[in-house]
Amino acid sequence: MITVTINGKLVRAKEGEMLLAVLRREKIDIPALCHHEAVEPYGACRLCMVEITRKEWDGWKNMVTSCLYPVADGLIIQTHTTDLIELRKTILDLYLARCPNTPEIQDLAAQYGVNQTSYEQVADPNDCILCGLCTRICDRMGFSAISAVNRGHGREIAPPLKNAPPDCVGCLACALNCPTNYIKFKDIGYTREIWGRKFELLRDAKTGQPTITKEFAEYLSKHRNIPQDYFELNDESHRKETALNLGKIAIWSREVPQ
Amino acid sequence: MKSRFIVTPILCTGCRTCELACSFTHAKDGKVGRSRIYPLAGGFKDLYVPVVCLQCEDPACVKSCLVDAIHFNENTGAYEINPEICVRCMACVAACPFGCSLFDPQQNLVIKCDLCGGDPACAHFCPTKALTYKPIAV
Ligand code: SF4
Ligand code: SF4
Ligand code: SF4
Ligand code: FES
Repeated sequence: MITVTINGKLVRAKEGEMLLAVLRREKIDIPALCHHEAVEPYGACRLCMVEITRKEWDGWKNMVTSCLYPVADGLIIQTHTTDLIELRKTILDLYLARCPNTPEIQDLAAQYGVNQTSYEQVADPNDCILCGLCTRICDRMGFSAISAVNRGHGREIAPPLKNAPPDCVGCLACALNCPTNYIKFKDIGYTREIWGRKFELLRDAKTGQPTITKEFAEYLSKHRNIPQDYFELNDESHRKETALNLGKIAIWSREVPQ
Repeated sequence: MKSRFIVTPILCTGCRTCELACSFTHAKDGKVGRSRIYPLAGGFKDLYVPVVCLQCEDPACVKSCLVDAIHFNENTGAYEINPEICVRCMACVAACPFGCSLFDPQQNLVIKCDLCGGDPACAHFCPTKALTYKPIAV
């Protein structure tokens, strides 16, 4: 255990853990759009910047992305100085120029008092802030179905060659964790559509309720040794079946003298 | 001290107190949680079976989780889903053969029994001792 100072308060932390994790534990509200605990920190959105210093630094200070900064004993951290608030305002102002119609960005910017961008809006805006969380999560899942394509202004997240991604299994991990809900999907009946591709949803044998995609289940059977027949029922039907099976055992063990 | 969670179906009256206890214990940000335990019909007259995670050895949920969000807690003997790591892919929900990994739409979380961090509320409140959490002699 080490000790750091956050906004004047002494806080215990684990040597080497990322500063953002410590801030979150202390319930300090720091925007961190590109961060997710499932993947390595990436430092793309720049919103999680904080100010650090140490006693021996003689008043010298530095601004760091807290998601990428491992804590060490004696670190002194400020999270809401005027400079930091100005910095976050500028970043959000830029995001607003890129994503003027995105509620998540509008709300966050409004919290920092930015209601309209002072930059020129991009001509054809969408909701993607290019934080790369979707591609990193998809990589982490082991599918690597999508990636950032092009450079500079034309940069966007897309499947290879913008065709329906052959390696996608339709797990939705990308869409459900996108900080701006840019990634759209549709579940209609037993069909799921994402990234321009259609998937068949498996159904519970008892009730017909849709579960996960056939492709995802096949992947889990093949690579994670989950027996195929586990996917024949959904969780509710599995619970009902479990009650009946354990019920038989309970009656049986009551009738058999012990 | 190590303890073990024990379910004795023939003592269960199906009163659903455990369900309530579980929901309230897992409340977060002013929203009650979905229960992780369900006393369900056991297929014989007046027989109910509280269905809850058995904390299996080599569990399907852990095997199916591609981002390693489910970890064993040595102190309690429970497998816990880390909500910060979970990406809500529903693999574990689909894979658990007992249906004990489930989705809580209210809190937007994938959940399972965590033995309440070592003090299971359901066992506390179960009026007939169908659920108990007892120290085991080592
Ligand atoms: S839905 Fe497809 S693209 Fe998205 S994370 Fe899953 S496999 Fe990757
Ligand atoms: S829903 Fe969460 S805990 Fe379950 S397999 Fe997916 S990532 Fe892992
Ligand atoms: S031990 Fe806790 S989490 Fe598990 S069923 Fe009981 S109340 Fe719910
Ligand atoms: S969360 Fe640190 S840079 Fe995005």
